[in-house]
Amino acid sequence: MIVDQNKCIGCGICTLYCPADAITIRLNAEGKRKAVIDQDTCLECGNCIRRRVVKCPADAIYELPEEERSIGRRMRRFFSDPSTTHPLTGVPGRGTEEVKTNDVTGRVCRGELGLCLELGRPVLGTDVREIQKATTALAELGVKLEDCNPLYDLLEDPVKGTFKEEFLDERFVSAIIEFTIPFERGEEVLNKVREIAEEVNTVFSLDMVCCYDEDGTIPALELCRNMGFEPRFNSKVNVGLGRPYVIDKEERDRRNAQ
Amino acid sequence: MTHSLHRRGTYEELKDEYLLLVTIANGVNNSPDAKDKLRRVLDEMWDVGPVNTGSNETGTILSGVSVDEIKQGFTKVPRIRCCFDSKEKIREMLRRLIAMDLGVSVTISGSRSDVEELCREFGIKPHSVNLSLQVWGRTEKLPEEDIMKFITMCGHGLISRTLVEDTINKVKAGKMTPEQGAVRIGTPCVCGFFNPTRAVALLQKYVPAAGQN
Repeated sequence: MIVDQNKCIGCGICTLYCPADAITIRLNAEGKRKAVIDQDTCLECGNCIRRRVVKCPADAIYELPEEERSIGRRMRRFFSDPSTTHPLTGVPGRGTEEVKTNDVTGRVCRGELGLCLELGRPVLGTDVREIQKATTALAELGVKLEDCNPLYDLLEDPVKGTFKEEFLDERFVSAIIEFTIPFERGEEVLNKVREIAEEVNTVFSLDMVCCYDEDGTIPALELCRNMGFEPRFNSKVNVGLGRPYVIDKEERDRRNAQ
Repeated sequence: MTHSLHRRGTYEELKDEYLLLVTIANGVNNSPDAKDKLRRVLDEMWDVGPVNTGSNETGTILSGVSVDEIKQGFTKVPRIRCCFDSKEKIREMLRRLIAMDLGVSVTISGSRSDVEELCREFGIKPHSVNLSLQVWGRTEKLPEEDIMKFITMCGHGLISRTLVEDTINKVKAGKMTPEQGAVRIGTPCVCGFFNPTRAVALLQKYVPAAGQN
């Protein structure tokens, strides 16, 4: 995002809304107050150009046409502005639909665990180098990263978990590392997650998708508690109204093979 | 992504907060009548009475968008997101969704045990759950918990710490009511999950006592 210096009246309203603190008010050569957006810090979340949000009285904030923006700045947008849809996923947002449509996609079935490490969330944001610390560590375990996730598009080597050099310094509001593993690998992977937490210079929100058993219990709860990962009481429950319904992985694999 | 998960607060603070997501799965049940199905859901949802709703494409009712604009803004993979502020409302909404029998995916974010209890009431078996396993890494860099309770109402990370702190200061100074402050803080959330009812409750403690200003 860019501030038109001729239009800006220096009111400073935009500075309050920037989640990355990228906007500051400075005096220009003529001693007039003007808003300036630091391009390294700006994550392209779009807050400042939403007219219902900032309501810039001078309509001074704009962005370059897409064809004039660098690939790095376009990538920042996908991982920061929820109104954008990455062509790889076909859905708005920074990841897959995870549990939202799990009753029909069977992305995570019984006997499996879905894990998400959302780097940069909350508040701090992340650059790709920090994400790479996590993906390379997970790759050591042979974890296969979700390929229907915009991060996959930035990878140099999905097996090693390394990213293309040109993206390493890009910064995002957050990015989600997603993958599905057999339930029995949960302990090993959670141990690795704990190691990653020691290595990264940002935060990550951690979540785990698991199917309910036939008796209504959640097998992942015991695993998490035994490992010292205490789930919060507030969760996201797929109540199972979608069709075609799938919860059995053999059935899912048969369906996907057709 | 998981933008309705990882909200901070105690059970007492969050027990009346339910976030509803009705989602079409791209490439699975994205049938030609998907938009019509979700328009029907939107009408029912509006009738039940959410405190916020919106879409990434249009913005939210909190920021001045109308329900008709949200309906017109459905993309080819439509979805509904809204926030209810009582268990009675989410119960009524779930009852209507079951009766409509549309075959679309429904998730509810809130107290897990309370959502499971609702499912038992209606005789449905929940399919799967996304568990929040907390925040890891350099957590010492995060703002204090009272600020986090506001910020995490937007899972997309669009509510700035500066805006929350400035709003709290204005409420403390008597320059803004908690109701005005809740709208101000909630406006950047574009999907409609920000809960203005809880935000008002959180801001109440900053209101100066009579005669202080």
